Amino acid sequence: MNWLIDFFGDPVNWSGPDGIPARLLEHLEFAGLSLLLAMLIALPLGLLIGHTGRGALLVVSIANAARALPTLGLLVLIVLLMGVGTILPVLIPLVALAVPPILVNTYEGIRGVDPDLRDAAYGMGLRGRQVLGRVLVPVALPLILLGLRLAAIQVVATATVAAYVGLGGLGRFIIDGLATKNFPSTIGGAVLVALLALLVQLGFTLVQRATVSPGVSERQTIR
Amino acid sequence: MITFNGVTKRYADGTVAVDNLSLEVPTGEITVFVGPSGCGKTTSLRMINRMIDATEGQILLDGVDVKTIDPPTLRRGIGYVIQQAGLFPHRKIVDNVATVPLLLGWEKKKARDRAMELLERVGLDLKMADRYPFQLSGGQQQRVGVARALAADPPVLLMDEPFSAVDPIVRTSLQEELLRLQAELNKTIVFVTHDIDEAVKLGDRVAVLRVGGHLAQLDDPATLLARPADDFVREFLGRDRGIRRLSFLSAEGVRLRTDLLVPVATEAGAASTSARATGEPWLAVVDAGNRPLGWVAVKDLPESGTLAELEFAPYGTFVSGRDSLRGALDATLLSPSGNAVAVDGEGRAVGVATREALDEALAEVAGGVGGAVRGSGSVSVGGSDGSAEGKGGVGGSAGSVGGSGGPVRGTGSVAGSSGSMGDAGDAGE
Amino acid sequence: MSEEPLVRWDWIGRNWPTIQGLLADHIVMALVPIVIGLLIALPLGLAGVRWRWLYQPTVGVMNVIYSLPSLAVFIVLIPVTGLATRLTVMVPLTFYAMAVLIPAVVDGLGSVPDHVRQSAVAMGFTPLRRLLQVELPIAVPVVLAGLRVATVASVSLVSVGALVGRGGLGYLFIDGWQRQFYTPIVVGIVLVVVLAGVADLLLILAQRLLTPWSRARGSA
Repeated sequence: MNWLIDFFGDPVNWSGPDGIPARLLEHLEFAGLSLLLAMLIALPLGLLIGHTGRGALLVVSIANAARALPTLGLLVLIVLLMGVGTILPVLIPLVALAVPPILVNTYEGIRGVDPDLRDAAYGMGLRGRQVLGRVLVPVALPLILLGLRLAAIQVVATATVAAYVGLGGLGRFIIDGLATKNFPSTIGGAVLVALLALLVQLGFTLVQRATVSPGVSERQTIR
Repeated sequence: MITFNGVTKRYADGTVAVDNLSLEVPTGEITVFVGPSGCGKTTSLRMINRMIDATEGQILLDGVDVKTIDPPTLRRGIGYVIQQAGLFPHRKIVDNVATVPLLLGWEKKKARDRAMELLERVGLDLKMADRYPFQLSGGQQQRVGVARALAADPPVLLMDEPFSAVDPIVRTSLQEELLRLQAELNKTIVFVTHDIDEAVKLGDRVAVLRVGGHLAQLDDPATLLARPADDFVREFLGRDRGIRRLSFLSAEGVRLRTDLLVPVATEAGAASTSARATGEPWLAVVDAGNRPLGWVAVKDLPESGTLAELEFAPYGTFVSGRDSLRGALDATLLSPSGNAVAVDGEGRAVGVATREALDEALAEVAGGVGGAVRGSGSVSVGGSDGSAEGKGGVGGSAGSVGGSGGPVRGTGSVAGSSGSMGDAGDAGE
Repeated sequence: MSEEPLVRWDWIGRNWPTIQGLLADHIVMALVPIVIGLLIALPLGLAGVRWRWLYQPTVGVMNVIYSLPSLAVFIVLIPVTGLATRLTVMVPLTFYAMAVLIPAVVDGLGSVPDHVRQSAVAMGFTPLRRLLQVELPIAVPVVLAGLRVATVASVSLVSVGALVGRGGLGYLFIDGWQRQFYTPIVVGIVLVVVLAGVADLLLILAQRLLTPWSRARGSA
């Protein structure tokens, strides 16, 4: 506990390029950009293979295999290969981390929609894209959001390793602290990252409440 | 009018779901496709709105080949109701119903008003409008499904086993609702079911399909029951075919006797005297408003007092001029006298149909069917009762009804149940 | 950069005993948490099914635990479990496994059709026998699906432990980084992916053996 007071109580830690606000912004930049890129890749792909069923087995298998990729290993390898001129080296492993949960959950969500519903939608004269946008996505939304939430949490948590290769983010407090045996900094950094992850979790709960139709979410809790 | 012109559906693996089907679905009528699973009835239905495309042949909608119409456009002009209703779980009931009008570009307000009007029309409480599908019972969801299909007022309605997932009581009420709606709307309806009772109840015409997608017979229900085209149809129709056929024959022609009705205020002695004149062992007692109270046995009449002091035996009624022969027959079975009380629309007794009078009417029915029925005697007997012995066919089974209530007891449940489908299956094994 | 090959096979040959040792360490640290996590998740999941009110809070707590960054937890644990010990890595991984497995157990038991449960009751199964002989076997596919996710995640996460001194194959990443040398990193990545793949295959195989009646579900 004293370590936390030491860390958060020290005004030095609240200003400058090494301060908490700056590091937090860097962290959010890594995590936010990676998540955005991962969404741009995984959402359309997941919707496509879920809707058409084409290539689903292959894509899902690759995505599941990609889950096993160790982010730390990927990061150091890419930095060694590309250098640290840009933040691209940190984005690639984080995107690789975020794509599988988004992709697989989106796919499962769309594919799992009751076939009767799909049938009724087409039967009423909705076109393919309308079926997807007006019926399949709203009904699959809880699973799609689950995938996004898992991805976001993992990205926020894992963005800490960027500090290991000399990039910024909240991981700097942890890694630098470890290197210099500065435990207040290490623990303080860890707590900050954990808090951020919890905030993301909370944020998604709110987004879920705001966007998922009660007709879908209530039905699930009853079951 | 929907016309099937030599329509065949063959799948890539060589399975033929529908084989060279040609038939016409007349405008403003309910045409039922019925048959065992694998007979291609659903496939045939789904080819109309191009959920499935025919491999060969044409389907014409008022003379236009459906293949020339873009599927979504085609479908927006055709109502479609499926088994599990297929309501969109994320949309409120009213929005579900307004789906097609909105697709067609109606204004929001107009679509919503139309949806509310339809909800009312299918017998739903308007409180349901702002609920979500999961908050409704299966029967209510199915009503919404029908309302949704009707929303844009399409001339054609396709119904794919819409009522088979609800319990029998709800099913019966949904069926009656559909008939009531159809009387107002006169849609061209194609209705798919595996339940022959439902087919016979709802269809103006019934198309019986056999496995492999062949049309076995297309007729109105009464003709179908009276003259099944072949053994397959006969077996599919199941037992009790004769009894069920009576539903399509009016009891209007049954001879009624008014001399068996006595007012409750009548002196017992006077009643005995007039009863002797009738030669019948039972009298039907009516109240001052001419409403039936029950039966008294002539031999139990006391020396003095009025009939009001007696206990009456139970009775059954049928509405003269509206109910079928089946209703009349059913009424006779509800009373120890073996006779049925005929009432008018207000419930006032207009006469008594005796067992003899019904026998006469039934004999006429059997005569009308002629040879075609006699051959089928084994099927209608096939169940358990042996009631048709001697005469065979419809006349035979009906004849024994008057004799003893026993053998026909099973048919009491036929009116509301769909049990005979299973029977037909058993008979076929 | 161009003269240095991605993989130097001679390095692998020379360091094979070390790599083997790291692999073994990695397997232990990845799989022990899964086994312990499953052993804890089963009774907790059962309790969640039996006492519905327990379930939501449990899932809530597990969600929070799951959202804690592994590196942060490793570090917070150091004062308790020590720097560079297996325990520091395995304790959080056990919790992550539970976070995935408890919902899987509950969903799995929830996937038992009500009519099946009812008929088991009607046939006179005692609650325990019903659980062991009817409900759990039917729940196996869903539980195993959770187990697959948890196992792959666990295998991958162990390597982060290298940052606190004990990460199995993750050591190869640190080593490669510090010496600016590709080979150990590539070897580490490949071995982690292969290890996860083998574990996943074994679980698929287990599912085939345990639930011969649901072949079709094995692919997802």
